[in-house]
Amino acid sequence: MSTGVEVRSARPANSAGRPPRRIGRGSLTHPSRTGLLLVTPAVLFVGVFVLVPLVFALVISLTNWPLIGTVKFSGLKNYTAIVSDAAFAKSVLYTLLYTVIVTGPILVLGYALAVLVRRKRRGSTLLRTVFFLPFVVGLSTLSFVTVLEAQPESGIINVVLKDLGITDGTTAWLVDGPLATGLICVLVVWAVSGLTMMLLMAGMQAIPREYYESAELDGAGWWKQEREITIPILRRTIAMAVIISVIGSLLAFSQFYILTRGGPGTDTTTVVQYIYNRAFVQLQLGAATALSIVLVIVVGLVTAAQFRLLREKD
Amino acid sequence: MRLKNTFYVIGGGGAFLVFAVPLLWALFRSVQPNDVIVAAPDAKTFFHLTWDNFRTLIEGPGNLIRAVGNSLIVALSTSVLTMLLATLAGYGFARFRFRGGPVLFALVVVSMMIPFQAILTPLYLEMNVLRLTDSLLGLVLFYTTVNLPFGVFVMRNSFSSVPAELEDSAHVDGCGTFRMLGSVLRPLITPGAATVALYAFLAAWTEFLGALTFLTKDKLYTLPVALVNVQAGAYGEVNFGSLVAGAVIAMIPCVVLYVGLQRFYVSGLASGAVKG
Amino acid sequence: MFTRRKFLGLGAAVTTAGFASSCSSVLPEPDVQAAGFGQDSTGTVQVWCRAATQSGLTDLVKKFNASQHRLTVELTPVLDAQYVTKLATAIRGRSVPDLVDIDDINSMLFIYRDAFTDLTEPLSELAFRDKLSPGHLRLATKDKRVYGVPYLADNSMFWFNTELCNRADVDPDQAVTSFGNLLEAARKLRKLGDDIYAWSFPANSPGALGFVVQPMVWAAKTDLIQGTIGSQSGHIVGNDVVRQMLELHRQLWVDGLVPRANFSDDASRWGSDFRAGKVGIFPSNYSVVVSGSDPAFHKKVTPRLLSGPDGGSAFFDGGDNMCIPRGAKNASGAWEFVRFALDLPQQIDLPAGGYTPVRSDARTGEFAEKYPLATLPLEHIEQGYAPTTLSYNLLYNQPDGPWLQMFRRAVFDGELEAAMKEAQQNYDRILRQGQA
Repeated sequence: MSTGVEVRSARPANSAGRPPRRIGRGSLTHPSRTGLLLVTPAVLFVGVFVLVPLVFALVISLTNWPLIGTVKFSGLKNYTAIVSDAAFAKSVLYTLLYTVIVTGPILVLGYALAVLVRRKRRGSTLLRTVFFLPFVVGLSTLSFVTVLEAQPESGIINVVLKDLGITDGTTAWLVDGPLATGLICVLVVWAVSGLTMMLLMAGMQAIPREYYESAELDGAGWWKQEREITIPILRRTIAMAVIISVIGSLLAFSQFYILTRGGPGTDTTTVVQYIYNRAFVQLQLGAATALSIVLVIVVGLVTAAQFRLLREKD
Repeated sequence: MRLKNTFYVIGGGGAFLVFAVPLLWALFRSVQPNDVIVAAPDAKTFFHLTWDNFRTLIEGPGNLIRAVGNSLIVALSTSVLTMLLATLAGYGFARFRFRGGPVLFALVVVSMMIPFQAILTPLYLEMNVLRLTDSLLGLVLFYTTVNLPFGVFVMRNSFSSVPAELEDSAHVDGCGTFRMLGSVLRPLITPGAATVALYAFLAAWTEFLGALTFLTKDKLYTLPVALVNVQAGAYGEVNFGSLVAGAVIAMIPCVVLYVGLQRFYVSGLASGAVKG
Repeated sequence: MFTRRKFLGLGAAVTTAGFASSCSSVLPEPDVQAAGFGQDSTGTVQVWCRAATQSGLTDLVKKFNASQHRLTVELTPVLDAQYVTKLATAIRGRSVPDLVDIDDINSMLFIYRDAFTDLTEPLSELAFRDKLSPGHLRLATKDKRVYGVPYLADNSMFWFNTELCNRADVDPDQAVTSFGNLLEAARKLRKLGDDIYAWSFPANSPGALGFVVQPMVWAAKTDLIQGTIGSQSGHIVGNDVVRQMLELHRQLWVDGLVPRANFSDDASRWGSDFRAGKVGIFPSNYSVVVSGSDPAFHKKVTPRLLSGPDGGSAFFDGGDNMCIPRGAKNASGAWEFVRFALDLPQQIDLPAGGYTPVRSDARTGEFAEKYPLATLPLEHIEQGYAPTTLSYNLLYNQPDGPWLQMFRRAVFDGELEAAMKEAQQNYDRILRQGQA
């Protein structure tokens, strides 16, 4: 400990932030063996719990692999069956629809919130904290609360709508496909825009003040400043925020499982929920794994497409 | 300028209500008895507040308090383990040169892009073979893996921003690798480590799909899985009071940790998510 | 040196090992013919029961634990919708309970996957073997071997509120002779008042709905599934009985003969409207109608078997089978508990918890006097039915199953043709996937 204190007093920490110096291979102070040793545990974790399952998935998808019972090799049958699996197709379409619905509002709301809190003003820290709280609390917890507030007659959603004279207060939100979808979308937009706000805010704060000052001198209004300064500079950050939210939507599960179990019928069944059901309710791990591989590819494609879109605009 | 201020006050105030009121409302609901929650609001009973729901949570069927304990154990262990592994790996990747280093780093970071939801079935079977299903340890290892890529990324950046001279002079004093980490570098990388620990805790605390899949025994249920049982009426009639009280308990650590350690949270977002 | 190649090699090795050792999920079968099996066991017996019938088990376990000091039974209620998943993952995790009290409709799935212990021999040693409910046993028998023991019966029936029927001039015996008569009776009942409804069904609870509505199809000697295991398919499109059953419920809904709350009724407070005396005709079970209400109300109700479009009668031969999963650690203790559960005093007491006995010799004069409303299904045990299939859970008990989907679409949206067509496809698909 004494060494640390001495060193720190000799070289104050304000020299931090400099790029790391190149360290020679297998240097005396940093032997390569030690380096390898240091990273091995983390790499092992990733290897065992990410890469092995990924490889294993290919094997499983070529079998009937039931959760209980005997395994039989089935070739590409699981893959060919996907094409004619109308229920899977429905869940894919539903998930895409859900993604399309929530992505725009999350971005717009997140952007607006970021604009509100990006400057240090009275209360801006408090606002930022509050806007971000739902995201921190998490969708699964928020969904449990929503369950009771969506009840007919007693839930606050119905009570308020009834008092406003919009409905008669008996709406069964969770047993109607479109209504449940609407409710979940509102919940999700409310809960996760905070993340978009945080990401955009960090970007906005990095834009030099002078840009805006000179624009203001030119008489540019607020919206014009956003359009001509903020958005172009933040394009990459915005794209990043969109990608994060799109991938999150494509993989949505908890809020649907808790609020509707994918019902009524299969009207609100997302892809992940369908795969989960195939594996752990229908007990067909083989078929479910083939679907998972499709999901990995779809998520990969979306990411790639969005990156590409981003690059083309540059 | 004045217009902007008005906008700030109105917009900020309105948005504040939109975001704060639902959470406060849940808090209020949790001290309403179940029969008030399930009935149409009645001015006579609406403000009969009680701790009954929390009492049911502790004493009632389903043993929700045990689930809270399980969640706590899992989240804390995940947090510590992730921080530890990410720190070691971050140090290794930032300061050491060895064969395959860049490849291994790429491997760790790329795994961030493979959603665990999509490898759930093989992962389940593998954990099953390793006897890690129906085990809190298994859940901890799983959550740690999910959080590691981000953690390694953050920690590598942390170490990279520490001036190399610092290490050099400590080496001159004959300081070994682990003492270097434990005493010389520790104060400088604490913010990064705190960020990693915080993220891992929050991610593990109310994770749902993995817990639902990997746990079968009631005794091991974490809070969200136990709440699903309450919601579905595994213990007789659905008790919405317990449900909302459980949800409020789930919120508390999130809110406290976030509000208290906001600085680390925000720096994590900046270094991990945006650059990643 | 830890190279990439080594790393991949390690990965491949783990994968292969995993593949090899997890291929089989069949656990060792307890030796049920060992000397002393089911006698003088010690320790604890882990028992799972369905959340839906836990009231029937809770008292039994208390009584058993109080009756002796060698064995302790620990009871875990499991949600019905999760039962199959939880049991399957427990088997896969090699950590099974010693005894499962399972919905008789789901036992076949596990029997086909070699997950339950063959109980044929110990069963044949029971003195009352031939008095056990044949319907329950049928759902636990494969190739003449029996893998489960009936424990309690849970049967669906029509319950009529006689007070309302008298006021509306409805004769239950007349009403059940056809759907037309039922509908007519319903219209009369509804006229009794704005808050009096003719009928009530839990339209958002797939399991309960299947329990009370399917027998109205079976009463006409047909089913929504056809064929035997291995070659089953849906029997919906072109099945006129199914159509008439849906039309009846559609009419009940459209004409406002049922409460609006039926739309979202997930059976979590099932029957509260009937027990409050606000409903005339209520397809349900003994537990919901009798156990939750006071003796004064019991005098006002009368059960009838469920009926089809042109009369006939049927009821859901539901309830629980007790099965010993392979891999059970205390199978002997489990069997001791089973024998206790089947003893006459316990069987005769079942209606106190809401269920009916599975032993025909439990219907004594004393029983009939004590539980007059519980005797009907026992008297007509041969009319009880439940489909033998591996996919019941998926078709009927899951909220995303095709049964609930068809019912809701036909009844609430009025899209009868489309609903039946969609259900036919989904029944076919699920049955095909389940047999693969």
